[in-house]
Amino acid sequence: MAHIEEHKETQIAQTEKQNYVMLNLGKTPDYGMPAFIQVVKRSLSLELLKGLGVTFREMINGLFRGKMHTTKYPFEKLPIAPRYRAIHEMLRLLESGHYRCIGCGLCEKICISNCIAMETRYDENQRKEVSEYTINFGRCIFCGYCAEVCPELAIVHGGRYETAGEQRAGFSLFEDMLTPIDKLKEQKEFAGFGSVSPNADENIKKTPLAY
Amino acid sequence: MFEQIAFYIFSVLTIGLFLVTVFSKNVLYAMTSLASGMVLIAGFFFLVGADFLGVVQLIVYVGAVMALYAFGMMFFNVTKDLKEKTTSNIWVMIVGVSVALLMTLMFGGVVNPEAIYASLPINSNMTNPQAVGMALFTKYLVPFEVAAIMLLIAMIGGIILAGKKMDTSLTNIEDEELQRKDVK
Amino acid sequence: MDALMIGTIIKILIILLIVSAIAGFGTYIERKVLAFMQRRLGPMHVGPFGLLQIAADGIKLFTKEDIIPQNANKFIFSLAPTITAATAFIAMAALPLFPTFTIPEALPLIGGAIVPSVIADINIGILFILGTMAAGLYGPLLAGMAQSNKWGILGSARTAVQFLSYEVVTGLSVLAPIMLVGSLSLIDFNDAQIGGIGSWLIWQQPVAFILFLIAGFAETNRTPFDLLEHEAEIISGYVTEYSGLRWGMFFIGEYTNMVTISIIAAVVFCGGYNDIGFVSGWLLFILKVVFFFFLMLWVRAAWPHVRPDQMMWLCWKVLMPLAVVNVVITGIIIML
Repeated sequence: MAHIEEHKETQIAQTEKQNYVMLNLGKTPDYGMPAFIQVVKRSLSLELLKGLGVTFREMINGLFRGKMHTTKYPFEKLPIAPRYRAIHEMLRLLESGHYRCIGCGLCEKICISNCIAMETRYDENQRKEVSEYTINFGRCIFCGYCAEVCPELAIVHGGRYETAGEQRAGFSLFEDMLTPIDKLKEQKEFAGFGSVSPNADENIKKTPLAY
Repeated sequence: MFEQIAFYIFSVLTIGLFLVTVFSKNVLYAMTSLASGMVLIAGFFFLVGADFLGVVQLIVYVGAVMALYAFGMMFFNVTKDLKEKTTSNIWVMIVGVSVALLMTLMFGGVVNPEAIYASLPINSNMTNPQAVGMALFTKYLVPFEVAAIMLLIAMIGGIILAGKKMDTSLTNIEDEELQRKDVK
Repeated sequence: MDALMIGTIIKILIILLIVSAIAGFGTYIERKVLAFMQRRLGPMHVGPFGLLQIAADGIKLFTKEDIIPQNANKFIFSLAPTITAATAFIAMAALPLFPTFTIPEALPLIGGAIVPSVIADINIGILFILGTMAAGLYGPLLAGMAQSNKWGILGSARTAVQFLSYEVVTGLSVLAPIMLVGSLSLIDFNDAQIGGIGSWLIWQQPVAFILFLIAGFAETNRTPFDLLEHEAEIISGYVTEYSGLRWGMFFIGEYTNMVTISIIAAVVFCGGYNDIGFVSGWLLFILKVVFFFFLMLWVRAAWPHVRPDQMMWLCWKVLMPLAVVNVVITGIIIML
């Protein structure tokens, strides 16, 4: 019970902050003369018409004072929060333009809905290269573990939230999620947990290739 | 001409529908045919120019009485056929035939047109409702009032029978109290 | 074929076509008005201002699969929607819509036909309308019972209770104006209020007017009393198992009843189709009916549903005594 009370208290605190007025209507009489008096009082004070008045005022507000709420969704979109967790993005290194992913496979390991599949191999420089990387968005629950576990901030969540599909399985390839090389300048750094420190530029070094 | 055609159509339909009411084992069919038979009886009233009575038939029998029957029928499973308990077919036959005989005898006395006369002939100056009102409140005032008192008594009786628990509302009882009552 | 006969047929066609069109158009209006009152836009994308939404809905209804549940009583199940639609249109037969007028001779074929204000001017018009609307309760009732669905049964039980109770109030509330006018014909009601706004019956019978409106809302199954298909409680009530055209017929019936109630309110209490000064009666009549139709949508946007027991309480403990007292007082005043 205690946590419910606590919850209530916080709610009351919030309502006070938002300047809501709590109406103290008292106890509703159930029967007899008090109930009758209440009914008569409410009918004669035309409380029902006040309700009609509110809706009519809102209609005038909406129609003639430009206070329509509707967002015509496919044509207009509301801005989403910067840390919104939608379709993944694969980021590139700012200097070289090479993808950041080092093929460590942590995201594949941690994925709780088993939707990430990757294959890696050594390229001619003996550097690990991602040969196959898919995310099954039919399975992905957008928990964000992959982005959190990634040591290189290579996989992050982006803002593309229109994920409806016609099939159960909808695979996204590595190349689809990778920032296009010509849009490297517009690549936004993820600002949340685990993001790059402000002096990240100074810390970037080439990955040592010789083991 | 039109009246006669309409009369025969209405007669055949009414008798057919009421036969369905009697013979059908499905509650839903019986109820529907009874209600539509009542509507067609209103048609007879319209045919003889008794508009007011026709509409009253429509409102009272179709709108109220049959709807109350229908409300009672909600407690049946209407998708299944009903098995009727007829204890003795002979008794059913005897009672049925004798009732039919009685009816034939009753109406047989009236069949010759000479025997029919109007105790309150139609006054063509009055509209339909006025004529009904005149008949009810002059010649048949006492039976009308007696019927009214009977209905009033029936209404009060109904209220007393049904109204014993009217003051307690289930929605106003707290859940815990309700559960305690269930345990008892 | 005399002129009146042709005129009556024209009138029947007008009512059938226009009212069923209004039933379709009413859904568009309802969605728009409700949207505006909630500061939304409503249907916008099919046609200009979403006007063709009606056509889109119609196509959807026509092409939808017609499902009859396995255990349902198929005959009654398919009969029920026609009852609702038919009774709603039969009630229209005794409604005066516009003043009687003659089609100009210049028109071929139908020139010179006299279009009467009422299709069937029976001298008990208003009772006939109420009686037919009372018979209309069999639509929802049988529909709910035939579909072998518990929500349907609940819906039809509510139908029986609600319509039966509120018929009493409708009848009693209209009784007081009937006593004042001394006739049951709606034409006489119209003629009794011929002398401008001051002679409207609403000023003499305000209580009866309010009672009639409340009962009319209940009889047409509009929002404060739409318990028959209360989504939050019983899915969709008596229309739970219906789809496609059969569902559409219930819909047409409901909207036709709304128009009927609006017209009765306009004719009985608000002066009918009489001219006021230079303003034509046609226009005024349409405006009145539109206002009452709008009122129904307005109320739907503003007020919440009532519980079934509250509805019964309102009917038998408040409205019916008020109606009886109103009738008695009217009678005493007439006698004096």
